Amino acid sequence: MSTPLLEVTNVSKHFLGLKAVDGVSLSVQKGEIVSIIGPNGAGKTTFFNLLTGQLEPTAGEVKLRGQVINRLAPHDRARQGMGRTFQIAKPLIALNALENVMIGAFMRHSSMSVATDKAMTVLERVGLAHLARRRAGDLTLSERRRLEVARAMALEPEIVLLDEVMAGLNQSEVGNAIELLQGLHADGLTFLIIEHNLKVVRAFSERVVVLDRGRWIGEGTADEILTSPAVIKAYLGEGHMGGQSKQTTEVNA
Amino acid sequence: MNKIDTNHEPVIESGKSVWLKYLGGMALAFLPLMLLIEDPHWLNIIAFTYLMAGLASSWNIIGGFGGQFSLGHGVFFGIGAYMTAKLYITLGWSPWGIMLMAAALAALVSVLISWPTFRLRGPFFAIATLAFNEVAFVIANHFDSVTGGPRGLMIPFKAGFQNMIFKERWQYALLMFAFVALVIAISIGVRRSRLGYYLLAVREDEDSARASGIHVLQVKLQGMALSAALTAIGGTLFTMYLRFIDPPTLFNLQEVGVKFALLSLIGGVGTIAGPLLGAALIVPFENFLRAELANALPGVNLAVLGLLMVLAALFMKRGIVGAYEDLMKHWRHKKGQS
Repeated sequence: MSTPLLEVTNVSKHFLGLKAVDGVSLSVQKGEIVSIIGPNGAGKTTFFNLLTGQLEPTAGEVKLRGQVINRLAPHDRARQGMGRTFQIAKPLIALNALENVMIGAFMRHSSMSVATDKAMTVLERVGLAHLARRRAGDLTLSERRRLEVARAMALEPEIVLLDEVMAGLNQSEVGNAIELLQGLHADGLTFLIIEHNLKVVRAFSERVVVLDRGRWIGEGTADEILTSPAVIKAYLGEGHMGGQSKQTTEVNA
Repeated sequence: MNKIDTNHEPVIESGKSVWLKYLGGMALAFLPLMLLIEDPHWLNIIAFTYLMAGLASSWNIIGGFGGQFSLGHGVFFGIGAYMTAKLYITLGWSPWGIMLMAAALAALVSVLISWPTFRLRGPFFAIATLAFNEVAFVIANHFDSVTGGPRGLMIPFKAGFQNMIFKERWQYALLMFAFVALVIAISIGVRRSRLGYYLLAVREDEDSARASGIHVLQVKLQGMALSAALTAIGGTLFTMYLRFIDPPTLFNLQEVGVKFALLSLIGGVGTIAGPLLGAALIVPFENFLRAELANALPGVNLAVLGLLMVLAALFMKRGIVGAYEDLMKHWRHKKGQS
């Protein structure tokens, strides 16, 4: 088997007595789409922050293309090809959409005109070209989410970490977002996704990893995971286990 | 196919249009000097307005574009002032050359003192820079042999271009105009460069900037070094104009450290025109208040100025430029509806 694009081994993050992430391992092959699910407080975003360098792990190892990147700063990881979006969209609101994306494009293209062209191409790809000159602060939530993806794309990354990129979107917007991400995946991009919307997880993921209270509790295809007793227990609690049928789980998904 | 959104002004303007605006704006700023060239009282006010506009624009590079609210720019201003006075008096060097050395030293000092303080954010950073200003004040008072201590340093009048000392006030006003023209040209260049975009990204959200591959500390240090260097140049010009400097003049927060930030805030922080507009409004107005009210009731001029600033902070949060932009947006929106 080839070297995984991203490999995480026994990574932990402890805040004093709290084990926010506790010995989680995970590997993502190039071209895969892997989702991370788990109830609120499971440690998903903390885990993302450990991968992107926003937080330093208490223990464990993070490798990108076989190289340990534990000591790399977030900006260096971005330069190495790791793009990310944030749970709460963080567009640079005083800048327009094009400028937001140009900032990412500058990382690969120092020329202003080349970076502008590159940013425009990315905006076209995510369907925001017509809003290129609109201030990011004036965009709708759905457009802001797309802009976040565009900004990550402008880095020409190998892997993009999407943190609840569908949160707050309506059904049709979610459909459009899935279509966009599938298109980007078809272009060869690898995704690691945190997602609460289990429909999205099922429609989009090739593999699903479940975290609960900072620990890895399961991994498999979407269907396997969404019917797993351990996952149902994590999401719904002990009391639901007895009467929980596959059909109920399907409804939840 | 979607149409391009025309409801918003393009933020990135073509180079030609920006530089044409610059020339137009500078021509307008030059007009008072042309019109009042015979009036020494007004020439003094105009020279100070240009100088303060240049200093506020220098501050704006790190404070406005980069969002790092420094209140310690008096340190760099002091470096320019003391280095110029001391080397001119003791070695007889030309202030033109000293000015460049002072700019380099201020850039170096800014990197050294900003390295640890840039770990702080928002008000904590501002307070730390304030402390540097106070430390500089104490040092300047203490090192009598270098700074002249509380007695200050006096520069003898020896007119000549080489000495940057002129017989006519309009010559100083022209020099100050050249300074503000230079700082604004540099500001435009920075704003349109990669560094400018990075500074804006850092100001808006440091986490997002990092996720876009930006080395946040490096960008802040670059912005600060440039801002400090230009501020030191302003210090040189100030010294050669007044020909007397002492610690209370150079490190007075109200007149120096805070003033640079205040002028930018009133005009429109983070914009090119903002610091210029802020200085054009506040410096002459301050002079007017001092002349008209200070004798009648000491301190009332400061109270009026303070009140105006509170009102501006309450009702024009983005300064004059922001208020103008909002007005234009509202007008375009109304036009679009009709």
